[in-house]
Formats: sequence, C-alpha cells, structure tokens
Amino acid sequence: MPLEGSSELTGYLMLGTMIFLALFNVRKRLSMLVLGNASTWLTLHVVIGVFALAVYWLHTRTIWPGGMYEKALAILFYLTVLSGIVGYVIQRFYPRLMTQTGIEVIFERIPLYISELRQEAEALVLECCDKTRVDTLGRHYLESYQWFFSRPRFTFNHIVGSQRSRQWLKHQDEVVRRYLNEDERKYLDDLSRLARQKERIDLHYTLQGAMKRWLLVHIPLAAALMVLSFWHFLVVNVYSL
Amino acid sequence: MSIAHLTRPQRWDLPFDPEMDESDVASLLERPEIIAINAAAFPDHTPFAGILKNDTRIVHFKAGDIVVREGDYGNSAFLILSGKLRVIVGDYPDVLSGRNRTGKKGFFATISQIWTNTNIPEARNTEKLKLQAVRSGDSRGTRNSRQSNPTRVFVRDISAVLDECSTVQEGEGELFGELAALGRTPRTATVFAETDLTLLEVRWQGLREIRRFDDRFRRTIDRRYRQNALLVHLSETALFSNLDEEVLGRIAEATLFETYGTFEWHVSFQRLLSSGQRGVEHEPVIARQGDYADGLLMIRAGFARVAIEFGSGQRTLTYLGAGDTFGLEELYAAWKDGETVSLGASLSALGYVDILRVPAQVVEEYVFPEIASPPSKTVDGGNRAMAKDALLEWAVEERFINATKSMLIDLNRCVRCDDCVRACASTHGGNPRFIRHGKTFDHWMVATACMHCTDPVCMIGCPTGAIHRSEVGGTVVINDETCTGCATCASACPYNNIRMVEIRNKRGVSLVDPESNRPILKATKCDLCYANPGAPACVRACPHKALSRVDFQRETLVEGNLV
Repeated sequence: MPLEGSSELTGYLMLGTMIFLALFNVRKRLSMLVLGNASTWLTLHVVIGVFALAVYWLHTRTIWPGGMYEKALAILFYLTVLSGIVGYVIQRFYPRLMTQTGIEVIFERIPLYISELRQEAEALVLECCDKTRVDTLGRHYLESYQWFFSRPRFTFNHIVGSQRSRQWLKHQDEVVRRYLNEDERKYLDDLSRLARQKERIDLHYTLQGAMKRWLLVHIPLAAALMVLSFWHFLVVNVYSL
Repeated sequence: MSIAHLTRPQRWDLPFDPEMDESDVASLLERPEIIAINAAAFPDHTPFAGILKNDTRIVHFKAGDIVVREGDYGNSAFLILSGKLRVIVGDYPDVLSGRNRTGKKGFFATISQIWTNTNIPEARNTEKLKLQAVRSGDSRGTRNSRQSNPTRVFVRDISAVLDECSTVQEGEGELFGELAALGRTPRTATVFAETDLTLLEVRWQGLREIRRFDDRFRRTIDRRYRQNALLVHLSETALFSNLDEEVLGRIAEATLFETYGTFEWHVSFQRLLSSGQRGVEHEPVIARQGDYADGLLMIRAGFARVAIEFGSGQRTLTYLGAGDTFGLEELYAAWKDGETVSLGASLSALGYVDILRVPAQVVEEYVFPEIASPPSKTVDGGNRAMAKDALLEWAVEERFINATKSMLIDLNRCVRCDDCVRACASTHGGNPRFIRHGKTFDHWMVATACMHCTDPVCMIGCPTGAIHRSEVGGTVVINDETCTGCATCASACPYNNIRMVEIRNKRGVSLVDPESNRPILKATKCDLCYANPGAPACVRACPHKALSRVDFQRETLVEGNLV
C-alpha cells in the first residue's frame, strides 16, 4: 500500500531535521574549517530540535505509537529531546553557580587539588595534636572531616543547588568547637577554611562533571536514534515501492 | 627581632657584558668617535668610562650574518668598530628575515589538517627544520658577546642579495639603530654584515645617559629624530594633519622629548606583582591634576594612565597609548577664554612611556586657530558609576591594556566544555596554543593566551628574529623553523603566555641535541590562527559566545556585559 502523502512528507522532513541536528557534532570536530560560528549552530540546534518535536507528532499523529519498533523509536526520541533540554538548562544555570564560588579550577586537576587539601588538613590536625597534646580535634577529624576530604562529596546536593554541604560544614565546626581550648580553636578555624575551599572545589567538580557528562547521554541516544530512524526509513521505502 | 642585611642593588650590578674589561674600555676611548663625546660632562656617579664598561659590549659578526631585521624590536644601538655592513632599502628576500611569510592556507591545506593532525604532542617535520639558514650556536641562548658561536640567521649568498636588493653600505664609525632603541619602535631596515664585522652595541640605558650628559650627542640624536621620524609622526597625527610642511617643521623644532618609567617595565612589573606594590601611587607622574598645562603631551610609545583624585585614592578614567594626546582640552579652554585652566586629571606612566611635549605657545599659534573645540574626553568620566570602570581599573592594574587581542572569557556563559582548546589544537597540528585558565575578575577571566601586545617585549632579544609581527594584521607570531629554543621571549613575556615545548619527530621520538644531550625546545603561543581561514578558531568554536578577543581600551561594561 502506498504511503499516505503527508506521512511521507513529514517523514522526510523528520529525517532531514535529525541529520541537520547531528551535523552540529560534526561541526564541533571540524573546527579548522570555516563552517560558521558554533554559537549560531547551537542556536539553530535548539530551535530545530524543538521544531523536530512538532514534526515528530505530525509524523506519528500520536504522542505514544503502537508497534514495538515505533515504541523503541519514540523512547529514544523522547530521551534524546529530554537530555537535550536538560543539557541546555544546566548550561544556562551552572556557569553562574560556579562563578559565585569565587574560584576557577580546571576539571582534570580537581583530584590533585583535593589531594593537596586533604594532605594540608591532615598535617594541620597532626600538628594540633602534637602542639596542644590533646587529640579532640584529631578524633573529630577521623569521625567526620576525613570522610569529607577523601573525595568529592555532596554531589546530588550540588546538582540540585542545595546548601546542604554548607550546613554540614557549619554543623561539624559547631559540634567540636565547644570542646576545644583557644589554641585548638585556631587550628579548627584553619581546618574550616580548608573545608570551605574543598566544598567550593566539590561544587566545581560536580557541576563541571555534569556539564561534560550529559553529552555522554545525549550523543549516544542521538546516535542510536539515527540508526533506528535510518532503518525505519529504509524499511518503509522498500515496502512502499 | 632579627635583621637580614642585603646591599641595595645598583644600576651596574648586572653589566651588559661581564667580560668587558678595562683594556676594552681603554681601547674604545682612543677611537675618534668616542673621543668626540665629552667625558668631562658626565657626573662622578655615572662616568662615561663606566657606561662603556657596563652598558656596552663588543659583538662580532661573520660576513653574511644578519645584525638587525626590519620590524624587530631592540633596545640597543650599534657603532661600527671595523668592517662593512649593508642596509637593505626596500623589499628583501625571505631568507634574510628569519621569518615565515606564510599566507592563508588554501582549501586543501585546511582540509588536510583533518588527517595530518596527530596525537603525538609537538611533532615536527625534522627535514624542514634542517633547511633553515641559521648559524647554529648555543641554543640555550646566552647573549654574551664573547660567546664563540652565537646563533644567527645568515645570508648564504651575499652577492645574490646585493644583486637582488637595493642596499646602502655603511662603514667604520657609523652609528645606527639608536632611534628604534630610544623610541622603542620597530627597526626600520634590515642590516647584514657584508664583511666580518665588529660592532659596539650600546644598550638603551647607556644611550639614555650619553644623550643626557653630552650636548653634541643629544643634538645629533634629536636632529636625526626630528628629520627622520618626528615630521612623519606629526603629519600622521589628526590634530596636525591640516598643517603645511613648513609649520610642521616649526612645531617639530620646538617639540621636547621626554621619557618616563623604565624601559624594562615588564621586569619591574613582575617584581611589583610579587611584592604587591601596585597602583597609581607607584607610577611616575607626568602631569598632575590641578597643575597648569604648559604643553600638549603626545604619547609616542608606551602607555599612560589618566586618573583623577577620587575619595581617598585615584580613579582611572582611561589609559592612553601611542598617538593619544593629553591636555588639549585645558590648553584650548585657556587659549579661548584667556584664563589659566588647570589640568582636570593626572597622567602617570604605566611602565614605560615616551612623550612628545609641544609647548603651549606653539599649539596656540599654529594649531588652535585651525581647529574647532576639541571633544571632552576625560572630565566627564568621573560621573560614571564606579562599577562601569571596574574592569578597566583591573585591566590597567594587571597591564592587560597592552593587549590588542586578549582572550576574555565570560565565566557566566562558559560551560568549561574546552571546545575552544580542541579548536585551537585542530589548527595547530593537534597542539593547543593556550591554557583555558588565568586571572579572574568578577565573572571575567583573561586566559593564558598571547595577547598580541602593542608593546611586544617578547620580541626584544630574539637572536634569530623568529618571533615577529606578521605582515598582515601585525599578529605576533613565531617562525618555528628559526626558533632556537633560547626562551628569551618566554622569559620576557610579563603574562607567561609563551610556552617552551620539547619537540618530537613524526614517530614521536624526542629530539635531543647531540652535543649538549638536552632536548630541543621551541617557543609556542597563540598566533590567532593567522594562517587559517576565518577568525581565530577558539572564538568560532565557542557555542555560548563566552570567548572573545578584546582590546580593553575599546571595551566598557554595561550592566555587567562587555560592549
């Protein structure tokens, strides 16, 4: 049975739209060529991505199609669009959150920075125990701060913009401060300063990581969608002949 | 409290050439051109013999060696002691330059980067490197004149060059290069040794002292400057462009030359950075707010800060560079109203500045009758919101004002995707030429990328002229093939924007100098993708418009955005 005219038209339009959207990634890899500004490409990618949603509904005439293959296509399409929207939104908001920390760190160097901060914190606590001959701060470090300094923490809280980490640090400071003498408190002040620095770095690690990793979801989904769509295109055209 | 003692550093603690000795000075003092300088006019603390010993060096060139190249920056002049040299007038062949005259890459050359880029860091075509006409020397690049084998670009076939180029011969007793050295302007001609040549190289500090204490030398230098450069400079200045040659000549005769700050501002700036002593209060004052304007100040080279008293400090209104003027509004108002008008702002030297002072009566007689009221530039500045000037204040403090193309990243937009870094690598054989990290102010970051400075101090002292300005656009670029890896440029860059890299061959094997057993180094930096079609790849690659290349003098902040 020949294809209904409008489905054929929207099908071609859908395929053309998806190919254009995929070309953005090609543009990124061919920066040595004069293929237009990436910012223009991004704008078109977003606008045409939204347009693709409308074309998809026109093509399928439903939000949720019937057959298994069509369902697989729909799932991939919706997930690709959703991951794209999430990526766009976080890229609009996360840079400002990172700027507000007042520090700037290179993502790949963050493990090194955290390691340096941990060593500094441990040296500080050891010195406190050694100089004051009291191990209260050392004990508290082992009970709480050691966990915090061991690796990036409060990932989920940073992702959703929560202040939980700040509250946790404040709490850890208050918990032990009452048991410390004046000399130990100076060490606690320094330890808290290091912890606040670590918290800012954690925020960078989480947000920069999220902005890098969302593409690891979006691009494979888009690639799988392209493969399935192309197969769909071939099958439909073969059977329509 | 314990006290550590350190003798205060003196002017001649670091002589130009530690091997200059008394016998060298004695033999120099017998030469007629040196005798002509009045040694008795020099003060006890700066004797003429001391200048010869500490501010000069004797340099030997073999026939064919290039002494200076057109477009190079240098801070010394040369006196010919023996031998002959040739000054090339007009065009010259590429081999003389030590530079590459690469044009834009064609379509296929651009496309081929897709498969020619390699994952091997800093891989080079070693065959190409061997073809350069560089007389090898110590690649670690001591600048000591007695070095037996200094690295130099040389002319392989002198007679061919003499046939091909229009040249002028200079011989014993001639002085050259003094105007470029004193004015910190590019060399205007390429000079090479026609025969084996011995020169007395006089560094800028020595030239300045000789000009200061010897009337005859000063008159000669000033006359040469007036004849060769000042008339052209005045005629190219908008204010004087309507005046005829005779009037310009009179203005040139009356113009005074002044220098403020230190020539090696980049060295003192790095010292100031480490000591935390920054700000207008540490800068030499050229003109003070409230003083009587006695002349029109024209910036010939360097930068100066225009500031007003504000609260308990000084507020920067703008900064001036080569070609800008100061005091015009006040002089004009005084001339028009017949009253004394004091300066509305102060002018101070940012590092080093070369000033031309045109006396008030000269401007009143020749210039003001020809012009309408000059536009007010500085007085209104104080009424702007402080936040609008914050970025400018920061740029001045950090000396980013020297930049013509600093890489400014808006951190509120930047998603740290590193597309800019990858784009840079894709146009440079797989090697990025900047670091996406640097000094930050509010939500702005100036990344560690070459800023293509107005005053490119990195170009001073390059032994082969490998670092130079491109012919089109004036981009500061490095000819990889003639770079000897001496790191003079990297050490001089006040912003640490030049990186020394160890190079490999195409198979990834590190290249090592067999004599010293040390790795071969090359200086690398951003070249604005000058050989690639289109704008810099980093700017084009940013999907969020977070990255731009800016000249801070032309930018201003509106609601936190750069316009």
